[in-house]
Amino acid sequence: MSHVDSDYFTGQWWKRTDVKRHAVLWVLLTAFIGYVGTEVQVRAIGAPASEAMENVIHLMRVFTWAAAPVAGFAAAISIGALMGERHHGDFPPPESEHAIRNSPRAIALWIVASALMCLFALVVGLIALQKDDATLLDAKATHVNVIGQQWVWNFNYPGDGGVRSQVLHLPVNQPVVFHVTSKDVKHSFWLVQMGVKIDANPGVITETAVTPNKIGIFDIRCAELCGLLHAYMQNKVIVESQADYDKWLASQPDTGKTTWTEAGGTA
Amino acid sequence: MTTTMAHTAPTSGSTPKVGIIRHLNVFTAFALGAIFAIVIWRLSLALLPADADGAPLFTREDKITLLSMIGWFVGFMTGIGALVAPFRWVMGKDLSHDENMFLAGKDMGVKRYFRYTTDHKVVGIQYLVITMVIFGMGGILAMLIRANLGTPEGGWIHPQAYNSIVGTHGIIMIVGTIIMVTGPFGNYIMPIMIGARDMAFPRLNALSFWLIVAAAIPLVWGQFIGGISTGWSAYNPLAGQAPLGMNGYIMFICIFALSTMVAGANITTTVVRMRARGMTWNRTPIFIYGVVASVALALPAFPVFFLSQVMSGMDRALGTSFYDTARGGSGWLYENLFWIMGHPEVYVILIPAVAALMEMAPVFTRRPLFSFNVAVMGIAGICGLSVLVWAHHMYMSGWAPLLNAPFMLTTELISIPTGMLFLVLIGTLWRGRLWVTVPALSIFALLWNFMIGGVTGIYLSDVPADAFLHGSMYVTAHFHYTLMGAGLTGAIASLVYWFPKMTGRMLDKKLSWISFWLVQVGFNVAFIGMFFVGLQGQPRRVEAYAAIFNKGNLVTSIGAATIMTGMLILLAAVIGSWRSGVKAPMNPWQAKSLEWTVPYPVPLENFATLPVVTEDVYGYGRKSS
Repeated sequence: MSHVDSDYFTGQWWKRTDVKRHAVLWVLLTAFIGYVGTEVQVRAIGAPASEAMENVIHLMRVFTWAAAPVAGFAAAISIGALMGERHHGDFPPPESEHAIRNSPRAIALWIVASALMCLFALVVGLIALQKDDATLLDAKATHVNVIGQQWVWNFNYPGDGGVRSQVLHLPVNQPVVFHVTSKDVKHSFWLVQMGVKIDANPGVITETAVTPNKIGIFDIRCAELCGLLHAYMQNKVIVESQADYDKWLASQPDTGKTTWTEAGGTA
Repeated sequence: MTTTMAHTAPTSGSTPKVGIIRHLNVFTAFALGAIFAIVIWRLSLALLPADADGAPLFTREDKITLLSMIGWFVGFMTGIGALVAPFRWVMGKDLSHDENMFLAGKDMGVKRYFRYTTDHKVVGIQYLVITMVIFGMGGILAMLIRANLGTPEGGWIHPQAYNSIVGTHGIIMIVGTIIMVTGPFGNYIMPIMIGARDMAFPRLNALSFWLIVAAAIPLVWGQFIGGISTGWSAYNPLAGQAPLGMNGYIMFICIFALSTMVAGANITTTVVRMRARGMTWNRTPIFIYGVVASVALALPAFPVFFLSQVMSGMDRALGTSFYDTARGGSGWLYENLFWIMGHPEVYVILIPAVAALMEMAPVFTRRPLFSFNVAVMGIAGICGLSVLVWAHHMYMSGWAPLLNAPFMLTTELISIPTGMLFLVLIGTLWRGRLWVTVPALSIFALLWNFMIGGVTGIYLSDVPADAFLHGSMYVTAHFHYTLMGAGLTGAIASLVYWFPKMTGRMLDKKLSWISFWLVQVGFNVAFIGMFFVGLQGQPRRVEAYAAIFNKGNLVTSIGAATIMTGMLILLAAVIGSWRSGVKAPMNPWQAKSLEWTVPYPVPLENFATLPVVTEDVYGYGRKSS
């Protein structure tokens, strides 16, 4: 080859066979990575039990597909390099036929593309965040006080009855605001299939909210190492129809004094 | 060049006069450390008053433990000889020429590895060995974790011991990965690569290494007095109620932070002040940028870590309440301090490993590095942004919900400079001539692992998605992909690449090849399994789990066993090749950087005549006319 390149984009670069081959690889790999990346993860997550969780799944799909072209591009070039000229042995191959050190167009394209992706991720994230926050301010919401202590969760329900339970009962399709605190160390209140989580800090009340939209029994797990029996700090959350929920609430023994407060209970 | 004057002065023919430092070595250090610890322990037992009624748990015992550990530290550093020169300065004198040559390890043979030796090559080998020891211990702890997670009920390890194993595995692997590139290769190779005779502050170099040895003992000690049952992040108030072993963690971090600060000041000064004539910033190899970025980033990060642990120790031993909400403190204060260190720290680990592979990419593709400037911009961009992202670890802490959006912004911005590093690597692979070796394959492994680590990082950076993923095994798998999949891969590639210069022998090709594949395949099996259970909802740091996580945990355990096999084979290769490997030529990879122009064994002052640099080290390939 008499001509020696100084940039990747010289002459009719798009007609080079290796460029075409890599372009095909890129498209195939993008589709593959996007599809496998979303499907495997979404299947592992399982069925969502709230709109917040549906949002999480949606976000993971969007981000995976947005990242797939970049990952596919890196993979196409890597595979191309592995499938191309290979030399084994104890001595280096002859030096390459070009000495390309720079390609302003390639660099500009890459940086602009990654900046746009970043902007996209940010906007998508902010919109989703806004949705989650809206539930917190819902005027119709039920307020439940959550108190973590080594190594159980206690739930205080509104009303004069002073209902206190270690299993969380929630009415379906009704927004719930949780006021979370801890009696001892830091815990993290995680409604697994509903996709919400907030730390329980001693001496402070933190808040999160969710609207469960499926009837069933789901998991609550502590997501912050809290000592000896952290692994066993699990409860169930039972989501039921409003009628069932009211019946359950009425059936609970009256402790006589309520510890529930509008702003969240003190431990 | 004032620091090398002592070295270059003509040696006298008379018998060297070497004072007390002749008698100091690692054995006197351990002996004196133990004596100091025991004496202070007995004294404080006898003299410290009993706690007042109603004092928090352990206060007096915490005081005794911390004082004994400080005693160990002072005794050890005295015994190794770190205080000899400062003591002379106080007396208005300095070490003699003979003593300086003794400290540099001149004609000392293997003994110099067990002394306070200032030669950067000795320090590099010491770092290499201690890194391997740390990874060995961390690996054993990882296998214990996997063994306990073999069945969902948990099992044969007591939860307290299990939590301690998880925490110890975490902190020593973090320390091991922090030093794995800048320690062995930053010390041994970097000064030769920039054409210097030694580091700017050779005694600080020895100090930084021996501080790590001094730090290790309190951590081991802590295991016998209750362990570190808090995970490596040692959040308060959990750390406040943890047993006495927590003091071992506190002392370990304080001493290790000192070591990092000392090493950071030393390496930064060396690179800024001591590059060879003609080595402008444009001609400085990218590996050097990586090392400097790493230690420079550690300079603001580790003092904060130090401070956070001093306050933690005061809360325990002196009854202060920095982190106690009930008495006016805040647990969020600890979290902030911890992650102000914690997030720059992951880039302290990652950047030099990626930079090392960037250094190797042109060598093994026989073409110039693609866009040196973008590589430098990427490293600088990551450094700049990484100090502004810490609170993405605290999205779900409830500390400042209003700040979640700004921290999401800075976190996602970091994908732009990270993408630049990818561009440099794939741009260099494109149209190169691949020389298939373990370092070359490591570039592909890094791209693969770091891509998975990076994309999963996008989900985690997003607040609503993090509300599901935070605190789950997904996070654990994510950071193993970045720190181990990308970081450790780069470090092992560096070991294979620079082994010939550091030992004079080639690392066994077949064994390192087998090890590479076992580790990479095992790694991906292990941590894809871990992603899976994370998505299913398994929290981190649990010693028992629900039955639905069975399969994923089994997969992870199989992968972990494969990694272990691969690492043991690598260890066998290193030991075997070091003792009796094939003798290496001066420049086995036909690379163009300065370290390949010196023979093995590298002379005490590296270069007979200091080199003059006229071009960068990436001049491969046919030049365009």
